[in-house]
Amino acid sequence: MKKLALLTLSLVLALGIGTAAGKELKIGTLSPLTGPYAQDGTDIKQGVITAVDAFSPVKGFDNVEVLPGDSACDGGKATMAANKLINSGVDVVVGAYCSSATEPAQIPLMDAGVVQITPGSTAERLTHKGYDHFFRMPPRDDVQAWSTVEFLTKKQGVKTIALIDDKQTYTAGLTENIRKFAEDNGNLEIVAHEHITPGDSDFTAVLTKLKRISPDVIYMAVYQPEGSKMIQQARKLDVDATFMTEDAVFHPKFLEVAGSAAEGVYLTFAKAPETPERKAFEEMYKKKWNVDSIGSYAYYAYDAAMVALKAAEKCGCTDAETLSKTIRGTTWEGVSGEIKFDEKGDRELAHIIWVVKDNQFVPYWDPITGKDL
Amino acid sequence: MTEMVLKNVSKRFGGLKAVSDLDMTVPEGRILSLIGPNGAGKTTVFNMVTGVYPPTRGEIHYNGTRLNRLKSSTIVSHGIARTFQNIRLFGSMTVLENVQVGMHCRTKSGPVRALLKTPFERKEEEAITEKTMELLDFFGLADKYNEYASNLPYGDQRLLEIARANASSPKLLLLDEPAAGMNPIETEALMDLILKLRDTGLTIFLVEHDMKLVMGISEQIVVLDHGQKIAEGAPKDIQRNEKVIEAYLGSGAKAEKKAG
Amino acid sequence: MDFSAFILQQMVNALFLGSIYALIALGYTMVYGIIELINFAHGELFTAGAFIGVIVLSGLQQIGWVETHFVLTLFIVFGLAMAYVAVLGVALEHVAYRPLRNASRLSALLSALGMSIFLSNGMMLSQGVSDRAYPQVFGLESIDFFGAMISHSQVFIILLAFVLMVGLQFFVHRTRLGKAMRATAQNRTIARMLGINIDQTIRITFMIGPALGAAAGVMVGLYYGAVRFDMGFIFMIKAFAAAILGGIGSIPGAVLGGLIIGGIEVAWAAFLPSAWKDVTTFTVLILVLYLKPSGLLGESEADLRV
Ligand SMILES: Nc1ncnc2c1ncn2[C@@H]1O[C@H](COP(=O)(O)OP(=O)(O)OP(=O)(O)O)[C@@H](O)[C@H]1O
Ligand SMILES: [Mg+2]
Repeated sequence: MKKLALLTLSLVLALGIGTAAGKELKIGTLSPLTGPYAQDGTDIKQGVITAVDAFSPVKGFDNVEVLPGDSACDGGKATMAANKLINSGVDVVVGAYCSSATEPAQIPLMDAGVVQITPGSTAERLTHKGYDHFFRMPPRDDVQAWSTVEFLTKKQGVKTIALIDDKQTYTAGLTENIRKFAEDNGNLEIVAHEHITPGDSDFTAVLTKLKRISPDVIYMAVYQPEGSKMIQQARKLDVDATFMTEDAVFHPKFLEVAGSAAEGVYLTFAKAPETPERKAFEEMYKKKWNVDSIGSYAYYAYDAAMVALKAAEKCGCTDAETLSKTIRGTTWEGVSGEIKFDEKGDRELAHIIWVVKDNQFVPYWDPITGKDL
Repeated sequence: MTEMVLKNVSKRFGGLKAVSDLDMTVPEGRILSLIGPNGAGKTTVFNMVTGVYPPTRGEIHYNGTRLNRLKSSTIVSHGIARTFQNIRLFGSMTVLENVQVGMHCRTKSGPVRALLKTPFERKEEEAITEKTMELLDFFGLADKYNEYASNLPYGDQRLLEIARANASSPKLLLLDEPAAGMNPIETEALMDLILKLRDTGLTIFLVEHDMKLVMGISEQIVVLDHGQKIAEGAPKDIQRNEKVIEAYLGSGAKAEKKAG
Repeated sequence: MDFSAFILQQMVNALFLGSIYALIALGYTMVYGIIELINFAHGELFTAGAFIGVIVLSGLQQIGWVETHFVLTLFIVFGLAMAYVAVLGVALEHVAYRPLRNASRLSALLSALGMSIFLSNGMMLSQGVSDRAYPQVFGLESIDFFGAMISHSQVFIILLAFVLMVGLQFFVHRTRLGKAMRATAQNRTIARMLGINIDQTIRITFMIGPALGAAAGVMVGLYYGAVRFDMGFIFMIKAFAAAILGGIGSIPGAVLGGLIIGGIEVAWAAFLPSAWKDVTTFTVLILVLYLKPSGLLGESEADLRV
């Protein structure tokens, strides 16, 4: 009896709702699949594929296709990859990762009327350009910098800080914002600002220089590969400052590579809600990709793809106008917490402070509530 | 009979015939000189004999072995060594090392043994150093053994080239203008030295422009002009040979014209 | 930290970094010396050494040898990494360079670039794109040397680098094959006429140079804690600059160049705005080449005609 009902239903669906037949949703990804940040880039691609597999079938669509693109953390390559996706007829793009790749890729994507959701780029200006179809999953740089300064002044009560960045859009933006918030705050003095080169391994000269200046805190605005090496060298050089860093270092690889050197390092990263959905996602992801740990950006990428899928299903549409309206007009539940976009495309989300304890990232302090976690 | 025989040997460089149908024999234990004006093809003959390039046509035999297509590193192990018209020492190696490299084909130890310094290797090295010093003594270079070759005076560099060639224990020694750039006293000493080498049983195949040296020590002379053999015989016959005089005067006249 | 301790620490930093550059630069310079070819795949050989090191070291750690046989473990790790890469070097020479030895330099150069890309991609596919952690067998402890902190791994690495360089010096100056190698580097034609087997000499060069690079790779892994398929690139650029600076083809030049490049990098970051560090390195390189085109200890090329 049940079988018969199902059969009838599917027949009705197949014949009756002719409009839905042949409808396809194409989701492109843009992330560095080659180069030094290929790990995060791969996490992003995999996060999107996981979401599509988990959510399919999407009601009203026959098929959902994922088209991966390589942005290589490079403006030119990202633009090329974006154009290629546009030519393949994508409706939504999840990407890119580096802000310096996302920004140039925005132009063709927005022109072509494609919805773009970045799972990783945090430079403020990306959402300050008046694009209606652009959304961002992680909190903005300035929010992160604000959280950092709040923590250092209110919770730690430190007076001096030295900044290190690797001169990239993202990291330089972060240190710039820390400078701004520290100056506004007035209680945190920036005593040094050093730069390293992405891809370098040896930071002993700069660390020795900072050791001599002896700041209370050394802030590492770098990516995970450099961060993992830098902290080890700092420990070997016996630099006794407190080390703090950001979400680009927040990766299981950091714990693996830096090992005991990572103990006591503070990091800013979004809150991780202890929900069953998150647990389910983690289990599914680990099984699907045969990994022991999940890169941070896989969560955002999964959420980005999920929001796109759910919105498309809800409005039954693929045009950027309606899709964006649906995305913005709804509060979504995601594995990175509640997702509610403001009119600029940013989430109402703040970082919390984490600390490395026993080779684990442990929530430590919430800058919004000012409470320990 | 370990003699060197060239049969009908020719060498072409593109359109230029540097050596044409050369027939000659270098008899064992003698001093044979190959002379001729600039560009006559003398060095080309040496280069073919030592495997720098093969002859275009003809046969080169030494001690019954055909040399035509052999690699120069193989030819040296057949007992043929040479010096170079333009000094080709290893400038940044010492006098001692230059000679030791010359001995390379007569020594053995491989890379692993060399690194591990086995007793064999150590013994061999001692023997090499001893033999090298003897050789340097013979050439009067013993007290300069530790100097860089490039720092030696010109005459000594010429001697070192001969010493290095001798280090491979050759039976046939090819000397390409060994007296070039030497002063008369040095040339005199060089003559004695070549005779002394001959007396040890070595065959000498000499290319030289210094006629005093050539006529003084050669037992036999072959004259080339434009790649062709124009005369062959004892020094006193060559000195009187019309063709030879003409060839030399002709080229002399050309050289003067050029200089003018 | 007082000024003298600061200077001492920066000198240690420079010496360490410089030794690594020097070891890698030796591979470039030896190969160039002998066949006038920039072996662009050298950076990948260095990376391959680092990977063999981490594979062997992780394995030995798992069976507990790091605790029980520490010295032997290191010996095996370096030994296997160097041996493997030496074989790889010989294979590379055989497949990619030997057939082109009499072709134009440009074809050999392209072949070298091709091999570099090939090896790099091979490692990406086999070892993955992300950092691979090196077991930190030396820990984080340091020795306080007049206020400068020298980690145990640094002491070991600097000593080993020194031993390898002295060993190389010994090899090229005191052994028969070493002398043959120098002779071949100075004038291949003449060396061949003196009975030196050029093929064998080139093969040995392609064993030693890459093996030294492999040792540097393991050292980088041990000290910096991670390896990745593309790590060779930055080290390659610096070491290449070092080889050019010292005079490509010159063995002491490569060591000197390595130490100078390490010194400049550290000195600049130590005293001046660190943002311009890399610019300085290459400015110095260009300046030296302008004043002395053959590099600090380089020689002009031999005349190969006879
Ligand atoms: N490798 C070569 N390629 C082209 N031409 C060559 C080559 N070697 C020699 N020649 C030419 O062959 C001719 C003979 O040269 P060769 O060097 O044998 O003369 P030579 O008798 O040794 O003269 P000299 O007394 O000046 O040394 C010359 O015209 C020379 O330019
Ligand atoms: Mg000549």
